[in-house]
Amino acid sequence: MSSPSGETLLIVEDEAQIRKFVRISLEAQGYQVREARLGEEGLASCVASPPQLVVLDLGLPDLDGLDFIRRLRAWSTLPILVLSVRASETEKIQALDAGANDYVTKPFGIGELMARVRVLLRKEERRDAPSARFAFPGLRVDLARREVEVDGLPVSLSRKEFALLSLLVSSQGQVLTHDQILREVWGPSHQEDTHYLRVLVGNLRQKLGDDPMRPRFILTVQGVGYRLAV
Amino acid sequence: MAVTLPQPPSWPRRLPPLGHYLFAIAVVAVTVAIAFLLPWLFPHASRALLFLIGVLVVSAKASLGPSLLASFLSFLAFNFFFTEPVHTLKVTDDGDVTTLIFFLLVSAISGNLASRMRQEMAERQASLERISRLYAFSRRLTSAVGTTEVLDALIDQLALLAGTRIPAIRIFLAEGGQDQRPGPLPREARRHGDDRPLTPAELDAAWAGRSPEPFIRGDWLFLPLTTDRGTFGLVALAAARDPTAVESARNLCDQAAVALDRTRLAADLEQAKLVSETEQLRSALLSSVSHDLRTPLASIIGSATSLLEYGEAFSAADRRDLLATVAAEAKHLDRHIQNLLDMTRLGQGKLQLKRDWVDVHDVIAGALARLAEVLTGLEVRVWIEPEVPLLWVQGTLIEQALVNLLDNAAKFSPAGGRIDIRAERVGGEVCIDLSDQGPGIPPEERERIFDLFYSVSRGDRDHRTGSGLGLAICRGMVAAHGGQVRALPGEGGHGTRMRLSLPLVNPEFMPLPEDRP
Repeated sequence: MSSPSGETLLIVEDEAQIRKFVRISLEAQGYQVREARLGEEGLASCVASPPQLVVLDLGLPDLDGLDFIRRLRAWSTLPILVLSVRASETEKIQALDAGANDYVTKPFGIGELMARVRVLLRKEERRDAPSARFAFPGLRVDLARREVEVDGLPVSLSRKEFALLSLLVSSQGQVLTHDQILREVWGPSHQEDTHYLRVLVGNLRQKLGDDPMRPRFILTVQGVGYRLAV
Repeated sequence: MAVTLPQPPSWPRRLPPLGHYLFAIAVVAVTVAIAFLLPWLFPHASRALLFLIGVLVVSAKASLGPSLLASFLSFLAFNFFFTEPVHTLKVTDDGDVTTLIFFLLVSAISGNLASRMRQEMAERQASLERISRLYAFSRRLTSAVGTTEVLDALIDQLALLAGTRIPAIRIFLAEGGQDQRPGPLPREARRHGDDRPLTPAELDAAWAGRSPEPFIRGDWLFLPLTTDRGTFGLVALAAARDPTAVESARNLCDQAAVALDRTRLAADLEQAKLVSETEQLRSALLSSVSHDLRTPLASIIGSATSLLEYGEAFSAADRRDLLATVAAEAKHLDRHIQNLLDMTRLGQGKLQLKRDWVDVHDVIAGALARLAEVLTGLEVRVWIEPEVPLLWVQGTLIEQALVNLLDNAAKFSPAGGRIDIRAERVGGEVCIDLSDQGPGIPPEERERIFDLFYSVSRGDRDHRTGSGLGLAICRGMVAAHGGQVRALPGEGGHGTRMRLSLPLVNPEFMPLPEDRP
């Protein structure tokens, strides 16, 4: 599935080997790829000519990855995909809270990276023409009319269940942290109440007929949050 | 009623108690009464002998003073009541003077003899007691395993010896070993008696000027705890004036010093043994780790170089096969490194749990997803009882623990075998059971397979599972949550059932059903 639009991606990563295989693979998929070895270089490159997506390594020699995200977010909403090492869930959550859109854990397979890139670019495309209707294999959601169909059959959801589902479908496969969901669905005073969220996800999965062992729709990202399976 | 014991040994009586004098007077009075009441039995001369018996009785029972008193009184009574002229103290007969002299002589000699005998008996009894106490003490020292026991025995024994005569006892122990000069002050290890001051300066001076002999500084007498290998500490006795007591205390200290020396030697040996075991473990780990890192690397390097050199000559299927090997082995290497990292984190005790409410479905699904490739060709069945509540755990760690258990089960499963995963609530715990159809584990090894040293030293290096760190890590992670991992016999006696149990923290606080609020 190549990208005819020839979108430009910027890779900010100090490891030459990783830059190389990511660039080769992305270019093979029809993307334009620019590279930056250092954080400052990357930021300058964004200012000079904003790409459609930034792939950012969190462990840069010159700049803390979180600082990079904050400085870019100060003036731009362009999507950021973070590359992080496995060690800590906290690091990923911090990056997401600082404004990163999604992450891939090193070491990663190229397929995983491609999937995340596609999700972010597709979402970016739709930003210009926001839609109230989403269709995924087996799942159709109409936000305006509050209608949900699974495999063609209508499903009735409670208010909170619908709020959660609409959040997931609007993000279109981008990861949502517990904090982000809690804030959106319950409001800012319920940041610690993960158990509400667990129960709500359980109920929603049940109504959507989603087997938690082999989820079709809602994926758990352990220690981080949830995403829609796309 | 001569009360000579119990008296502390080596503490001579200065004065016979008043009772002894009263006893002497009473004996004389009784003698007079007998002489009066039974006059027909006693002619004049034998009356004197009667009094003499009284004097002897007093001498035998009491010491010299009372017996002299008795003889004097006897003479007076005899003179007053029974010699002419009666009821006067006049002496008309020379024989009576002789009687008086006799009385005095007899009482002096016999009193002396009797009191010496008694003293000897008392001393013998005291020394018997001392010996049996010393025997008990040295038995206690012999069985003492550590410094604590030795010090306990010593302070008890010193307190017993001191009684009321030594008002305060302190034991000081040199830090870190013997002869720390001019090192830090020895620290106080035990104390007995009152809280009279012993300033650090005094202690410092005493420690600096210590000698193998007892020495006195100010109000304190210091006894060193010394063996050939040096001085371990000091015992300070307050206001100890009695040389016998000091000598006994010194004997105790010498014995205690030998025992201290012995326990320290034993501790040193133990330490040396521990170090050598750690060393052994480290080298076993190192060799296992390098083996486990190299095995996948060998496949990766081999496959990659084959493709580089001869890639064009290979069929498309072969190329793909080799590339799949590279990817799979690299992933294996990654899992192995993750294990090592986990082990390090657990070993350093720095595992700080970030607990959150976690759905048991999610951790099991996560573990299965991560091991999808390893589990290919096996049948996995999952059953989660509906009443299993949310867990208050760090989800990533429990998932990792399950990954390690599953990895292990997959390793021992026959081709096409089945792995059953079952989660249920049992009392105050949630149990997750993993049953496989492998060969099972002999009962005597069911506990040891979780032992890092055991699994590593056994050389269990099948590279599909890594160095055998997996189960030890699994147990460590679950233990960090207050839970347990055990190996049980499989159902129907086949295979193995691994049971991971987690206590339900805060079970009364259950999340509300439905989407509140």
